[in-house]
Amino acid sequence: MKRTARFAAVGVIAALALTGCGKNDDDGDDNENGADANASVCESADGDGPAIGLAYDVGGRGDQSFNDSAYAGLENAVEEYDATCVEGEATDGEAESAREDRLRNMADQGLNPIIGVGFAYSESVNAVAPDFPDISFAVIDGFDPDTEPNDNVAYLGFAEEQGSFLVGVAAALKTETDQLGFVGGVHNDLIKKFEAGFVAGATAVNPDIKVAVNYIEESDLAGFNDPEGGNQAATALYEGGADIVYHASGASGSGVFEAAATADAWAIGVDSDQYLTAPADQQEHILTSMLKRVDVATFNMVESVVDGEPLTSYVVYDLSQDGVGYSTSGGFIDDITTDIDEYADQIISGEIQVPTAP
Amino acid sequence: MNAGTVVLKVGQAVLAPLIALAFAVVVTSVIVSVAGSSVSEFWEVMLEPPSKRSWVNILNQTSMLFLAGMAAAIAFRMNLFNIGIEGQYLLASYCAAVVAGAALLPGKLNVAAAVVVAMVVGAVWAGIAGVLKVTRGVSEVISTIMLNAIALTLVGWLLNQYGDSAGQGRRTTPIPESSRLDGFSFFGYFAQADGRVWTLSFVAIVVGVVLAVVINRTRFGFDLRATGSNDEAAVASGVGIKKMVVVAMLLSGGVAGLIWLPAFFGDGYYYGTPFQSNLGFTGLAVALLGRNRPIGVAVGALLFAWLSVQANPLQLFADISPSIVQVTQGVVVLAVVAAYEVVRRFGVAQEQRSIRKALQRTGRLEEGAAT
Amino acid sequence: MTTEVETAPGAAPPGGGGISVVGVTKRFPGVVANHDVNLTIRPGTVHALIGENGAGKSTLMKILYGVQKPDEGQILVDDKPVSFHSPTDAIKTGIGMVFQHFMLADNLTVLENVVLGAEGRFGIGDRAREEIRRISDDFGFDLDPDQLLEKLGVGQRQRVEILKVLYRGARTIILDEPTAVLVPQEVDALFANLRELRDSGRTILFISHKLDEVLAIADDITVMRRGETVGEADPKTATKHQLAEMMVGAELPSPETEESTVTTTRMLELAGVSLVDDGGRYLLRDIDLAIHRGEVLGVAGVEGNGQAELVETIMGIRKATVGTVSLADQDLTRWPTRRRREAGIGFIPEDRHRHALVLDAPLWENRLLGHQTSPALNRRGFLRRRAAKAETSRIVEAYDVRTPSINTHARALSGGNQQKLIVGREMSGDPILVIAAHPTRGVDVGAQAAIWEHIKNARREGLAVLLISADLDELIGLSDRIQVILRGELVGEFDPSTVTPQQLGSAMTGGRGDRS
Repeated sequence: MKRTARFAAVGVIAALALTGCGKNDDDGDDNENGADANASVCESADGDGPAIGLAYDVGGRGDQSFNDSAYAGLENAVEEYDATCVEGEATDGEAESAREDRLRNMADQGLNPIIGVGFAYSESVNAVAPDFPDISFAVIDGFDPDTEPNDNVAYLGFAEEQGSFLVGVAAALKTETDQLGFVGGVHNDLIKKFEAGFVAGATAVNPDIKVAVNYIEESDLAGFNDPEGGNQAATALYEGGADIVYHASGASGSGVFEAAATADAWAIGVDSDQYLTAPADQQEHILTSMLKRVDVATFNMVESVVDGEPLTSYVVYDLSQDGVGYSTSGGFIDDITTDIDEYADQIISGEIQVPTAP
Repeated sequence: MNAGTVVLKVGQAVLAPLIALAFAVVVTSVIVSVAGSSVSEFWEVMLEPPSKRSWVNILNQTSMLFLAGMAAAIAFRMNLFNIGIEGQYLLASYCAAVVAGAALLPGKLNVAAAVVVAMVVGAVWAGIAGVLKVTRGVSEVISTIMLNAIALTLVGWLLNQYGDSAGQGRRTTPIPESSRLDGFSFFGYFAQADGRVWTLSFVAIVVGVVLAVVINRTRFGFDLRATGSNDEAAVASGVGIKKMVVVAMLLSGGVAGLIWLPAFFGDGYYYGTPFQSNLGFTGLAVALLGRNRPIGVAVGALLFAWLSVQANPLQLFADISPSIVQVTQGVVVLAVVAAYEVVRRFGVAQEQRSIRKALQRTGRLEEGAAT
Repeated sequence: MTTEVETAPGAAPPGGGGISVVGVTKRFPGVVANHDVNLTIRPGTVHALIGENGAGKSTLMKILYGVQKPDEGQILVDDKPVSFHSPTDAIKTGIGMVFQHFMLADNLTVLENVVLGAEGRFGIGDRAREEIRRISDDFGFDLDPDQLLEKLGVGQRQRVEILKVLYRGARTIILDEPTAVLVPQEVDALFANLRELRDSGRTILFISHKLDEVLAIADDITVMRRGETVGEADPKTATKHQLAEMMVGAELPSPETEESTVTTTRMLELAGVSLVDDGGRYLLRDIDLAIHRGEVLGVAGVEGNGQAELVETIMGIRKATVGTVSLADQDLTRWPTRRRREAGIGFIPEDRHRHALVLDAPLWENRLLGHQTSPALNRRGFLRRRAAKAETSRIVEAYDVRTPSINTHARALSGGNQQKLIVGREMSGDPILVIAAHPTRGVDVGAQAAIWEHIKNARREGLAVLLISADLDELIGLSDRIQVILRGELVGEFDPSTVTPQQLGSAMTGGRGDRS
């Protein structure tokens, strides 16, 4: 019994430490950034504009991806409208009630708008919003989980397939082997959108191009936080003959970039301009990134509240609103931007319909 | 002597967790201050009297953590390390959600059916590990870890394959209104916006009482404890170990199956984003904290629920990452195991001393009589 | 011979080695293990230290060997005060220790075992081999340095242990219960070796509780009781009874049995029982035995010759590969352990901590162990706690279990009291057969006498008793018949009223002595 207890204790601590650690690393970054260069704008902001509540997804500010992109929009809004802000961070595996409580705390403080970053806030916003009819809520990537519409909630979605289409075009124009690869973090509907757009873009340029697809996890969300898995998935694609791999796998992407550097091949980033945040030795392997402008959506939400016409219901940020796009940092695709933009125009005009499922 | 023993026992039960808690407070404070945040602000937020809404959340979380802790405790009492609670309640929750969502039975009968399904699925999933252990000698630690991974992938696949599309993700069909449980407002003490203490939280109490009786008062419980403390002696006493291993795993898994059901019928109504993961692992820690005794597990669950609920607004009010309390939780568990051992040894020495004293007295008398 | 030793590089001179212990006290949390212990060991003698289990012998021994430091008092070697911080210090001073449990590696040779950790003395090659041969010849150890240890018997292994100590230059050798693992022939051989060692000028501290042996070998005797040295005795004049009285303050009882109560009703019967392990090895082969009402059947054998397997096969912990086991004409070969117990088998296992007790449970819960299904103790699956407690109180009373309370944890009791509780438990519930494996091993003399008495009572009341023991006196004194087990087979039956320990010993080792 005693031996088991001790063994068990060690095991449990290890488990807690593992979940804790992942986060502590982030916290570490967070604090480094927080203490030095990037102290949150919310600490210093004291204007008399709107008071914004921003509830992050797991990882929080400093994740160099989704949450940071939302923060960038928040920063712009604070500057533009002399706003103040409050941030809330999620913990891994937290209760539904924890998200709800976070939003209620923000609402109790009178913040408006309150933005939940990530579709996990869909249910909690749905539960909280009816109690605060005067406050505007938004959920990035969110949806209304029931049949009763909420007239003070905006669901800010993105046409990821359109952005993916464009980087697919870029890849098709740059490939020398006519073989491309796609690494998905988790095999769910959202990531399938990226895959579908990418494949459509590539085959639009050259119908003979083959796109090999590799998912890190079937359903475990850990697939978005598994650099080693990303590395393995990408390495397999490179070894299979692909010379450009597009990833939609969140933090696992760093592994994809490592694999690209090792294979001396190209990778394509996702969500934000990953050229800017990658280590120097990997930068030269990042062809472009598909941009998902969470910052634009965040800023627009604040803007709409300031203008007195808060966004409600479903809003899709697509190419026409600059909600998705591609990056050119590094200058690797400067020679083909005209071609890519032609496709973009065709999508905006409706000439090309990008599929949302493979 | 007896009063002394009682004081000693109570001291042993209370002293160790208190020492551990104090130690955890110190360690957490050090980490908070090293991270450059304000220690006083941290504890202000953590120790602030919870709002009614927070109380609702704490009670609800406690009920789920208690179930998870008891599931772990049953196995621990048998010297089995059921790491697979996570997978067991995941699969059980999904299956229960599918069955309840299909609404084959009307109203509350639907709830009963889902409870049965959840317990059976959890028991079967844990039972696989039990059967593998007794027939093939596979360590339950290994097999349950594997079963966790399988459960996770299986549920994900089933959800992607057969789930309803909802926004960016998939979910099971929501249960009908008639099968939703309103929860307790405690005669209006908790307002609508505070939320409700889930109806099925009472299941946790029932499970606690039943298990306490089964473990302490029945022959089965005696066999279970004897096997856990000294399996060879249990075998010699006539306990069929193989059967006990399987039964203990079934029981542990059955309880594990219940973990998420209070939230499901009280708040979530479908399996998808509302599903709360990680409770199985936390349950192991809670069981250790509570020394596998129902009362202890309840206290441990309450402590962990308090910590996580109170930590939630840390970022809002003190700009500290709420993840810090996971450090506190980890340190508490580690310290409590160490402290129990120290206090236990002290207790043993104390007991032996008292016996020696008592016997020396009688021994002297006999000597006197002999000479 | 003496000169040879003196020329050995680094070896301490063989003379001297006298030790005085003056006023040594050692406290452990809650216990005083040694209190004002005084002991004078004359150089060149065999000094016996006797006392019951828990009398403080082991603590004193550990202090002498540097494992523990005394809280008070002094140790003098050759009249010079010494202070040991570790066994290494003790060895440097010329004190060596042979533990009861050998610390030898089976897969190494004698040479390798001996030089392990003492490579600096004579290297690891021919010089070391030479030295080992020399020591072996001097004292008649008859050991080949290149023999693999796994080929050696218990007696030879013990000599390897002694050789190890001598090789390290010990002048004083402490032997902890060295005869516990030996059969009588081996004991004689050991004593011969010890006498040679003494004659070469070495000093021996011999720790034992077997009074016959002590009287046979010792030059001086010191008795310990409850952590104190209570007296000395001269082996030339002292009797066993006097020594026993000094040890316990009461007379040593003897395990003599009374008039035969054997009937013709067969209780336990094994017919053609064999037990084969996974590798196809026979652990038991063709066992036929029967025990009648009112009969004690003793089984003698060197440990590891199938006694444990025999007991486990009767208890159902292992299932016989072939053959039948029946109890009172019921075939229970395929029955599980619980059903066999319910049919009336009481079981006093060999290792009480491992097989008979839950140490961290109170006594009254331990009373339930093995009797969970008894209707007296449970009703429809629920334990009858009050009945169990009352039962425990009765056993504590009737079997003189010395405990402050029935709520005391089993761990806190001394070995003898634990064993009395177990005996009391297994005699309860009207058994028809009691299996007693080494029932008095490691218990003090007082408890031993009580347990013997209970076995005799059981026999008188018509129980069948299977008694397995390494103590041949116990077997001869209590049994109505004795069977000898060797390599899993019953090899001979003896009448205890005529057999001698020597005869049994020779049957136990397959007819050939181990005298070398």
